[in-house]
Amino acid sequence: MADRDEPLPELDALVRRIVSQVRWRRAEHFALRGVFWGAVAGVIVLLLKVVVGAYWASVLAGAFVVAGLLGGGCWGLARRVAPLAAARLGDRAFGLEDRVATALEWAGRADRTPLVDSLIADARTRASRLTPRQIVPRVLPREVKWLPAPALAALVLVLSPPVPLPAGRLFDLPTGAEEAESTDRSAGDLLQEDKRPAAKDPLRRPALEERDYMPRTAGGGAPTAGDLSAIFKDTSLGNQRPDFNSFLKKGDERLKLLEQVDRLPDLQSDFTNNQYKMVFRKSKALRGGLRPDQISPQKLRELLEEMERLGRKGGNWSSDVGEGMEALEYGDQDRAMDAMEKALNKLRAMEEGKRSGRGLRGGRETDRDRERGRGGSSAGGEDPDFGESEGLLPGKGKSPSPKGEASKRLRANPYDVGVEGESRPGRKDGYDTNLTGRAGHTPSRLTYLGVIGQYRKAMEDALVREQVPRDYHEQIRDYFQSLDER
Amino acid sequence: MTQEARVQEFVAGFGALRSEVEKIIVGQREIIDHVLIGMFAGGHLLLEGVPGLGKTLLIKTLAEGLELSFSRIQFTPDLMPADIIGTNIIVEDASGRKHFEFQHGPIFAHILLADEINRATPKTQSALLEGMQEGYVTVGGASRPLPVPFFVLATQNPIEMEGTYPLPEAQLDRFMFKLRVRYPAIDELNAIIDRTTQIRQVAVQRVMSGPGVIGYRELIREVPIASHVRDFASAVVMATHPEWEHAPDITRRFVRYGASPRGAQALVLGAKVRALCQGRFNVSVEDLKALAAPALRHRVILNFEGEAEAVDTDTLIGDIVAGVEQHATQGKELFLR
Repeated sequence: MADRDEPLPELDALVRRIVSQVRWRRAEHFALRGVFWGAVAGVIVLLLKVVVGAYWASVLAGAFVVAGLLGGGCWGLARRVAPLAAARLGDRAFGLEDRVATALEWAGRADRTPLVDSLIADARTRASRLTPRQIVPRVLPREVKWLPAPALAALVLVLSPPVPLPAGRLFDLPTGAEEAESTDRSAGDLLQEDKRPAAKDPLRRPALEERDYMPRTAGGGAPTAGDLSAIFKDTSLGNQRPDFNSFLKKGDERLKLLEQVDRLPDLQSDFTNNQYKMVFRKSKALRGGLRPDQISPQKLRELLEEMERLGRKGGNWSSDVGEGMEALEYGDQDRAMDAMEKALNKLRAMEEGKRSGRGLRGGRETDRDRERGRGGSSAGGEDPDFGESEGLLPGKGKSPSPKGEASKRLRANPYDVGVEGESRPGRKDGYDTNLTGRAGHTPSRLTYLGVIGQYRKAMEDALVREQVPRDYHEQIRDYFQSLDER
Repeated sequence: MTQEARVQEFVAGFGALRSEVEKIIVGQREIIDHVLIGMFAGGHLLLEGVPGLGKTLLIKTLAEGLELSFSRIQFTPDLMPADIIGTNIIVEDASGRKHFEFQHGPIFAHILLADEINRATPKTQSALLEGMQEGYVTVGGASRPLPVPFFVLATQNPIEMEGTYPLPEAQLDRFMFKLRVRYPAIDELNAIIDRTTQIRQVAVQRVMSGPGVIGYRELIREVPIASHVRDFASAVVMATHPEWEHAPDITRRFVRYGASPRGAQALVLGAKVRALCQGRFNVSVEDLKALAAPALRHRVILNFEGEAEAVDTDTLIGDIVAGVEQHATQGKELFLR
């Protein structure tokens, strides 16, 4: 606020009143804080009653509380209050719309405009009409809610007998007899304890080079204080010597065992509680003797989703899961359960294959061989449709995804009627969908109904998780809806 | 005449003008006030609303209430800059000599209604730029001043976006306020039906002249503003910038570009008019809060996330203002500082 010559008694009086209110509120605030911390200090003094004495501890505790009260109050009263801040507070409290603060600020400015005179006159008139009242709210410090705790503790401590101080030594393991023994031993020629540095920090663990590697006597030598042998001296262990040869022998045997790969369990997989097993358990719990129509579709969907996730890691049941998901979408729970059963069977077969030992890491049969073995007659030969050269194109190669297998239900499902395409006989039955537009010359080999459910789900996930503009959501859903209508 | 008397005259004139407009326009009190505030502050306004809400009628009525020339341009895709500014044409005088003479375009009026401004091409839209910012237009190498006061009121339709050319940010920034004309409430709609379907002529009286408007513009600039109120305006504008160190989270998340300094100018100048039209001699924080949305909503550019989440700029500005106010006053903790 700039210096001004013009007296503004109404505005100054208003600001003085507010400043005074602010000071007293501050005094209250800081006095309460002072009382709290004084009480905390008082509790500490009362805890030391045994040292200070009961009378003086009570007097000191009371003095701390009073000092906190007075100190906080004085601190609150002594702190400066900016007049403009007080004016703003008054403007808000009395609904003066920043008149007082603006008038006080502009009254001393050199660039004041004629309107400032009008403003000052207006502000003075309004200030003179105000009824004085308390406008500064009381602000309790955070410590107030904890104040009962030290107060109660102080009261209890005043009334209770003095609390004994804790002893300086917490542990004293060796008994008096052992100490005497230790003293005798230190006088002996064998260990010559008197030559050691006497003042060692008992809490500090000695460094490796500082340790005293001494032959452990089987009981002939007297144990020193802190020596572990002293603890076991009355047990059978006390007479034993460390046998490093037997330890090395056992290690050699284990190393030999490691070389026999076939006998090793696959440490990468936990057969007792893996994800596949969890899926089996969940499916068992889900069925639990219920009929298909009694099973919760939501739980069934969750289970299928979990199986689908497992399938992505390398399983051939994804098409069954997709079929199940699709059946669930159409409300056909029987078919969804059948699909789940099929998927579970495949999952079980894969697990059993792994358990047989052939699937172990470093085993005799690779995954590729196993795939060929399942292929039956064409094992060892190149598959004309799904050759390696076709890489990772959709529906090609040896990808574990379901895109290479056609569903057997294609002709039985009424929803397949709408799909334009033709079945393709071969070693694996396929279904070629006819595309229109630019992609029409490259007929797809995807099992349409096997993947559409997954794509729809992927679409829904993408709409939820990814940043697809909201305006496009409806358009995308419409597109998938149109696919259903076909 | 004393300053108090001038202020009282302004308050009366403002109220009279509002009353004249309200003879024709039902409801829309806030829009009418903001249009008048923008006019007295010397800014240009952009009115956005669906067809049939009386945007054009409001502006025509305002022009009738003022002793000022008025012209209207219906913006279309084939409108050319010369159609707005004017052009040199060959004129033959009495002696048979031919010479070029400047034919003034419709921009040479005190109040210019640019109807559906987003339907014209950017080239034509930019023809307004120089006139709006500088107060004159240049044709054939000669600068021609526009009449004073010069006040552009543009309208645009937010729903029919096909075949339109949305105004670029640089041109939007030249509008002091962007006003959203809302749909009338049912009682207002009843009043509109009564007023417009009966045989009753309502005549709008001229209550203010051009020089009067200019005189008030000078008075408005004299209104003092306290430093803490000015700081509040600056903080609100800065809080629309995501790169500002104290920017709120909502700004950092949804805003790509914040308001320009023109936004702060529009906010403070509009607040001065609002204070004066209420008979107050100073700007208050409430004035700034009331005008934050019209002054800033077209100056805040949302980022992709903001567009995708369909964030409403009015809500965004409201949150920013609330955050700045809370930060500025600190509520009950003020006196403990």
